[in-house]
Amino acid sequence: MSLQGILFIDLLGLGFMIWLLNLVRTKKLYISYAAIWFLAVLGMMILISVPAFLNGLPQLVGATYPASAISLLAFIFIFVILIFFSVQLSIISTRQTELIQAMAIKGLLEQEDPANQKISHSANQ
Amino acid sequence: MSASVLIIIPAYNEEKTITSILTRLRQEAPDYDRVVVNDGSKDATGKIVTDLGEKQLSLPCNIGYGHALQTGLKYGLVQSYDIVVSMDADGQHQPEDVPRLVKALQESDADLVIGSRFCDTGSYNTPINRRLGQIFFSYLTQLLVGQRIYDTSSGFKALKSQACKVIINGNFMDFHLESIVQLSLRKYKIIEVPVVVHERKFGYSMHSIASVFHYPIKTILLTVVAFMDAFVIRRSR
Repeated sequence: MSLQGILFIDLLGLGFMIWLLNLVRTKKLYISYAAIWFLAVLGMMILISVPAFLNGLPQLVGATYPASAISLLAFIFIFVILIFFSVQLSIISTRQTELIQAMAIKGLLEQEDPANQKISHSANQ
Repeated sequence: MSASVLIIIPAYNEEKTITSILTRLRQEAPDYDRVVVNDGSKDATGKIVTDLGEKQLSLPCNIGYGHALQTGLKYGLVQSYDIVVSMDADGQHQPEDVPRLVKALQESDADLVIGSRFCDTGSYNTPINRRLGQIFFSYLTQLLVGQRIYDTSSGFKALKSQACKVIINGNFMDFHLESIVQLSLRKYKIIEVPVVVHERKFGYSMHSIASVFHYPIKTILLTVVAFMDAFVIRRSR
């Protein structure tokens, strides 16, 4: 890859890193998720900036051109990360459902037995 | 000593039918407790249930039929009921059939009794795509667990508390084929009792056009998961 191309990718990567850090700073992104993206951007920058890695990659994955190898890696990464986020979303959905169910059951139990209400109120104080 | 029975009625926007269901249940099954799971209804369902003085599990937002039913099952377990019955709030199920289902559960050694639309007269009219799906899933139960269940998607069921625990702790969608397979693999006995089911007169079905594709895929996946679950449990023993 030409020096101009390497500089462009590295600057873009640097911009992504600053953006990620700012998202963490403003509490819009968990540090654990930021770390995944940070590593992905860093990996891509290293891969493209070091000619030995870029030339060795096609051989490693059985591709003809470096661009094909990078596309394949990017596709695998996106696939894995989408599954990861689907899992995270499912965990949150399950927790939300359990919370809603617990609220409804607690509400009815308190109505049926006011003693329960007193206990839960004093526990909250 | 007679068994304690709880009737669970998940309801979403059923203001036109809920009064009739609850009134008829009071007449036909006076000894059984009832709880309406109000699944975030936007109409007057919740108010009607409160005005009638009936028990209500009020969900703050709509979480879907399966999870609403699961809430009722959890409540049944918390309150230590021996038997729970699930029935729809849209007027399709007849309250008169509830004592029949409970009797069938008590008089047989079954753990789950399904109120079936198709095992006897088969007079219930259903769209052709759903009927074909029903037949497919019916034969699938025979293939998977060696027992043909004619109505795998019936919402009218009675089950014992032990079976209820298995269902709640397993992977849960609508308490259909996936739960039947789950129970069957754990040697719980399932029987079907013919019931009369009416056409829905008011409101909308929970099955959308998208569910023609989505429902079978989800059901089959959960059935595979039930098999994996049973395999893992057998291995861990």
